[in-house]
Amino acid sequence: MNANEQLLKIRCENISKTFIQKGNQEVPVIRDVNVDVRENEFLVICGPGQCGKSTLLRIIAGLEIPDTGTVLLDGKPVEGPGADRGMVFQSYMLFAWKTVRHNVELGLKLRGVPPKERQEIAQRYIDMVGLQGFENHYPHQLSGGMKQRVGIARAYANAPTVMLLDEPFGQLDAQTRMFMQHEIARIWEQEKRTVIFVTNNIDEALFLADRIVLMEGKLPGTVKTEYKVDLPRPREHISMDLLRLRKVITDNTELVL
Amino acid sequence: MKQTHSIANETVDHARTREAWTLKRVLTNTYFLNAVSLIVFLLVWDYVAREHIFHDSLARPWDVVKQIVYLTNHKYAGTNLWGHIWASTRRVLIGFSIASVVAVPLGLFMALNTRVNAAVKPLFDLFKPMPPIAWVTIAVLWFGIGETSKVFIIVIGSFVPCLLNAYNGVRLVDPELYDVIRVLGGSRRDQIFHVCFPASFPAVFAGLQISLSVAWTCVLAAELTSSRTGLGFLIKRGMDTYKPTLVLGGMLLIAAAAWLTSQLVNILEKRLCPWKRHIENL
Repeated sequence: MNANEQLLKIRCENISKTFIQKGNQEVPVIRDVNVDVRENEFLVICGPGQCGKSTLLRIIAGLEIPDTGTVLLDGKPVEGPGADRGMVFQSYMLFAWKTVRHNVELGLKLRGVPPKERQEIAQRYIDMVGLQGFENHYPHQLSGGMKQRVGIARAYANAPTVMLLDEPFGQLDAQTRMFMQHEIARIWEQEKRTVIFVTNNIDEALFLADRIVLMEGKLPGTVKTEYKVDLPRPREHISMDLLRLRKVITDNTELVL
Repeated sequence: MKQTHSIANETVDHARTREAWTLKRVLTNTYFLNAVSLIVFLLVWDYVAREHIFHDSLARPWDVVKQIVYLTNHKYAGTNLWGHIWASTRRVLIGFSIASVVAVPLGLFMALNTRVNAAVKPLFDLFKPMPPIAWVTIAVLWFGIGETSKVFIIVIGSFVPCLLNAYNGVRLVDPELYDVIRVLGGSRRDQIFHVCFPASFPAVFAGLQISLSVAWTCVLAAELTSSRTGLGFLIKRGMDTYKPTLVLGGMLLIAAAAWLTSQLVNILEKRLCPWKRHIENL
């Protein structure tokens, strides 16, 4: 364990959020959530559908403002979205009118990085996600797994210190999903960042996480427990230690339909 | 698990299998079926004309072609065929250009700014359901029977679909795409230029295509009412002098001219939206 990894990167204090639906109906989405994330930690927020985990991630990203509580990033409160936090979206959210290269370059372009430099940086991350040769393809020419690789490269290229991944593999088939889990683990080893990864898939959580925050399966979402996953990497989906922990977690998760 | 290998598996395969020419393949060939449908249509038309089912009001296809060829080297009402085609096309292009240059930005602006929307929407909703042809008479009263009144009707007619599509094109953009720009550190301006405009392009072009066909409808209505030039005038004169060949010839030429102008808009769309070009291949 590196001493650096003990440094506090993000602190969520008493976060609550209520959405007002049509007809003034109040839907409390998360209540009193406290989560700490350490520097370069791979934190997985795991919970069944509709438990407010994506909302929590959007609050950390600054896309939603919490009703109560604050998010502290490096000790400073988050007041809105910023390039210091990169985000990968469940439905890819690529720009259909931009090529792979221009999708990946966009963050740099918005921050005024000169064309030559941003092309070099973009190429590095395109190579990192294994999309060399597809630089000039448009998103509709790519498969789902490849699209999400672009999404990951786009977030990384902007040099964020925190990566927020919102069920990034939720739309992929089982095979591709497993493969992408290996890929994201490889990428994280290669370019260490603080990662917050949201998923509803316990196997995915166990495969990737340093620590799993398990959320309660009904609204408003609250943090149920945390699990430290102290298993060596690279991991196997079917290792005994992993399966043992899996049993503990599934026993603690109620089925919600 | 080699990485390059997996990527290749994920790629969509465009390759087409080549088969030998068989009778079944010829009979089910798209171009063959296209040709069959056109030939059958022409034969039915010719049959109906020969049998005088509509008395003498339907000319035979060949006579229509001869009429069109005749017009290319004989002046009709002081203008040859190209002059008439150009007269109509020019009106369409001027009216359509004015309408799209004003309506598209206005539609985009309405979708982006609630105050502009609040100011323009009621007026737009008032005029939207009014058929453009309803403006023909008032246009003549206001602008006389010259070019202005015709262009005016075309502008009125093609304005509505342009504006409506630009407006809806922006409103239907996935709001999460704006979040991407925000997360990447972009401003409101970046959201508009990198998401809003490009995302609405396809809808804008769909609107332009509809506008163009409305513009041709309007030019015809205007020329039927009062004109000495244009394809509508040829049709009207064909009716007045009982020349079915002239009426049908005019109709065919309008279709051809309208098709050509819509191809121009298509080319423009392919230039401006290159990302749409390959979609049909998938």
